[in-house]
Amino acid sequence: MKDQLKILVLDDEPIVCKRLKPALEKLGYEVDTFIQSVEAMHQIHQTSYDIVITDLKMKEIDGMRFLEEVKKQRPQTEVIVITGFATMETAKQSFRKGVFDFIAKPFKLSEIQEVVNRAAAKIKGAAA
Amino acid sequence: MLKYLHNLWKRIMRPKPGLVAFPEIFEHFQDLLQNHQRVMELIADLGEKSGGEYIFDRKYLADTVEEMHTLLLHMVQGLNLITSSRYLDLHPALDRIFVPLESELRGRLSLAGEMPLSVSLAEAPLDRPELTGGKANNLAVIIQNLQLPVPPGFVITTQAYRLFLEYNQLEERIHAGLESWSAGEKDEYQISRQIQYSILAGVVPQEAATEIKRQAEKGGAHWAIRSSAYGEDGELSFAGLHESFLNVPTRGVIQAYKKVLASLYSPEALIYRQKMGMLGEEAAMAVLAQETVPSRVSGLIHTLDISGEECDCLVVYASWGLGRTVAEGRGQVDRFVVERDYPHRLRRQEIAAKQTLVRPQTGGGEEVGEVPPEEREAATLSEGQVCQLARWALTLERYFKRPQEIEWAINQDGQCLILQSRGLLFPKAAAPPTQDICESCGLYPVLLRDTGVVAHAGVGAGVVAQIASDTDMSSFPEGAVLVTKYTAPWLARIVPRAAAIIAERGSAAGHLATIAREFRVPTLVGVEGATEFLKEGMQITVDTKGRIVYDGRVSELLQYELVQSLAFEDAPEFRLLRRLLSRIAPLHLIDPTAPDFTPQGCRSVHDVIRFIHEKAVEELMDLPRLVKRFKGVHIFTLVSDIPLGLKILDLGGGIDPEVAGSRLYPEQIRSAPMQALWEGLSGPGVWSTEAVPVDFKGMMSSLTKTWAETPGAATVSGFNLAVVTDTYMNLHLRLGYHFNLVDARIDPDPQRNHIYFRFVGGVTDLTRRSRRAQLLAKILSQYHFKVDTKGDLVVAKVLHLPREDLENRLRVLGRLIGFTRQLDIQLRSDEDIPEFVEAFFEQNTPA
Repeated sequence: MKDQLKILVLDDEPIVCKRLKPALEKLGYEVDTFIQSVEAMHQIHQTSYDIVITDLKMKEIDGMRFLEEVKKQRPQTEVIVITGFATMETAKQSFRKGVFDFIAKPFKLSEIQEVVNRAAAKIKGAAA
Repeated sequence: MLKYLHNLWKRIMRPKPGLVAFPEIFEHFQDLLQNHQRVMELIADLGEKSGGEYIFDRKYLADTVEEMHTLLLHMVQGLNLITSSRYLDLHPALDRIFVPLESELRGRLSLAGEMPLSVSLAEAPLDRPELTGGKANNLAVIIQNLQLPVPPGFVITTQAYRLFLEYNQLEERIHAGLESWSAGEKDEYQISRQIQYSILAGVVPQEAATEIKRQAEKGGAHWAIRSSAYGEDGELSFAGLHESFLNVPTRGVIQAYKKVLASLYSPEALIYRQKMGMLGEEAAMAVLAQETVPSRVSGLIHTLDISGEECDCLVVYASWGLGRTVAEGRGQVDRFVVERDYPHRLRRQEIAAKQTLVRPQTGGGEEVGEVPPEEREAATLSEGQVCQLARWALTLERYFKRPQEIEWAINQDGQCLILQSRGLLFPKAAAPPTQDICESCGLYPVLLRDTGVVAHAGVGAGVVAQIASDTDMSSFPEGAVLVTKYTAPWLARIVPRAAAIIAERGSAAGHLATIAREFRVPTLVGVEGATEFLKEGMQITVDTKGRIVYDGRVSELLQYELVQSLAFEDAPEFRLLRRLLSRIAPLHLIDPTAPDFTPQGCRSVHDVIRFIHEKAVEELMDLPRLVKRFKGVHIFTLVSDIPLGLKILDLGGGIDPEVAGSRLYPEQIRSAPMQALWEGLSGPGVWSTEAVPVDFKGMMSSLTKTWAETPGAATVSGFNLAVVTDTYMNLHLRLGYHFNLVDARIDPDPQRNHIYFRFVGGVTDLTRRSRRAQLLAKILSQYHFKVDTKGDLVVAKVLHLPREDLENRLRVLGRLIGFTRQLDIQLRSDEDIPEFVEAFFEQNTPA
């Protein structure tokens, strides 16, 4: 589509990816999902994403490192962190790394849709 | 030795239970109340999560179960402290519930004792496809949940398969065989032959064989024996890879069973699993046995036209005799094209010239025969039969959330039966073009947006049918959208027939929401004004995922949901959640006087907390024992015109220090919460003592109970108790057959303040008691209480409000306790509820 925004979702729990993809596509975004952080890391060097949604606590690469890399690659990418309650404190620290917002798991579809829409509005506002 | 002496000393010196100070006991009781509340919240949370609105992972489930376990351990401890350890039996009860919960979470089917080797489809568990396989699981759902006619059958579970491997020491051999194949030492034909030979030579262990024979002898003379592998009818398709045997006589079932097991290791199946990267995983096979239907007509339905020509239609294929003619694409078949939209008009029928048919062979097996000349050109189905099949097909599609391929048959008596239903595989070309779904939806007018609470996530479309009373129910059209003011229990019968539900009242933890989730019907509750906006007969599309209601039929969205989006209900996490919930949420212990109201009778987490709560309250209410246990505790009797029989126990500052003797007047109360509540309770007109006329139905119901007093009098069984301090009150009021508990603290620091109100019971039938519960919920939420109801149980609370706000609410509670005493008798129908709510607000301004 014309000015469709691109979103990357990374979470090692497949259910999160499987459910987020259609929920965001219905809002008019183009969505790629990954359950392997290594593959996602590879992907962000290939394609530029407007919005990245990532879990913090994963096997292999730590979410914090992933989002640093995202920001390094493309500073204007907005990052949304999704995380369990236990890692909420760490999540708050991520604010300092320029994270757009964070959401505690479990979350409602409508919650994440709202945050993504806000991020999109910011991106479109910046472009205008 | 020293240790022994030390312990002995400790035992001698340990204070006797009676010497524990009452305030300490009472603290345990308060903790217990708080933990009870927290567990109720966790149960409600889990229930809500099963509706699909939330995204959660396994960790959330594990954390929640762990927290519940900790809270329950505390509650069991607390109850035993209060009751001098009279309920130690609760510990084994907890183990009985939590050990299986934890093995579920670890993903282990190590519950061998519980898992049957063979089970009939009518009794098979519904959330265990790994036990019964996809095919059998679907049939069990169709029989038990959707209640469509299916020929009787049973499933030989994966548990029996494991036992078979173990008994014949096959695991090692299979493993070694697969290894040598992967290593390229042997080809798939050699390996397949080797493994299949071992399986066919194996012996079905006695206990499994006995079970299989027992099941087979209950049924008819001939069986269809088919594979029911896990995942077979799900995302992966093993279609045609595993063998089926038709028209097998009862004595041949075990032999056919082994042949089906062996087909798990056919060269084709091996190659397929290798290609799908599943070779390393343990393959397990359940086998389905279904009674053979000597069908007159049989065929297939595709709920989506795979030729891609008519997107808005489904197609019924039919031929004379047994089903193979259609399934194997041999011979000529009739083709009926039916509109998917209500009223499912037959758009076209193509009648073929049918030369041959398949029929059962005497002595087992099947044979091909000639169609009698007079039937060759005749239509196999009447228009009525086509329509019935179409309706069933759409019911199946609505439930399974995917286009379906359905095998059906009509027996010699003309009765239609469903034989199988599985996900339809269609070529990419048949799938409707994936246009930008967001853009397409934008073209439809929106009727409602961002309103209500999601009880079950999904998309459904149909005509609006408003149902206001149980007399309208039979007129509810199949596949319509139910729009209703109430969430009354009798609506449950309509739920399976609805494409979607919108209710003005109710909560995501309520009764209707629970039923909607069971039948996977997209549902929004708490949509104010829905019955006004959504008029009878309007065509609408409800997307509860986006909380949007569109005008018209948004076919792009419906197609998208059917084809693109994940049916979350079938995700392993959701199945796991439902299995956990079945051991957590149901309440079996309802009546405290029933003989199974014991620790042994507790079958769920809900049962345990109900039991503990009841017993803890009982202990506190047993005043004579309490007084005996706590010598020196002074209990006052409240003197008042209101016949409550209220005793007051002061833990400090709750009453005027000048009071002498044991009689206490209301004006001598100093406890802030007690003062406020009493003000409400004793206000003018609140304690109406006039007898309520009991109508016939209410009377009959109350007569069936052991009813000591006339319902007109405000009866008090025994006495009631309030425990107070200057800032705190815990009040138990048993009035006739219902029971109020108010626990409140009013402190200068609002952070410590709360009101907790619990109401349960009544004298009439459950429906009327539930009406009273709904009425209470309605009124209390107007005062910003957070209210949960379950049947006749109401739990309401407010937290952290300043003094005046809490006092106001306690006055309201006082008036409400008086107002609702006999309301269950008066609430004859759901329509009475608003009237009584209004009556209450006329006398009391809402917040």
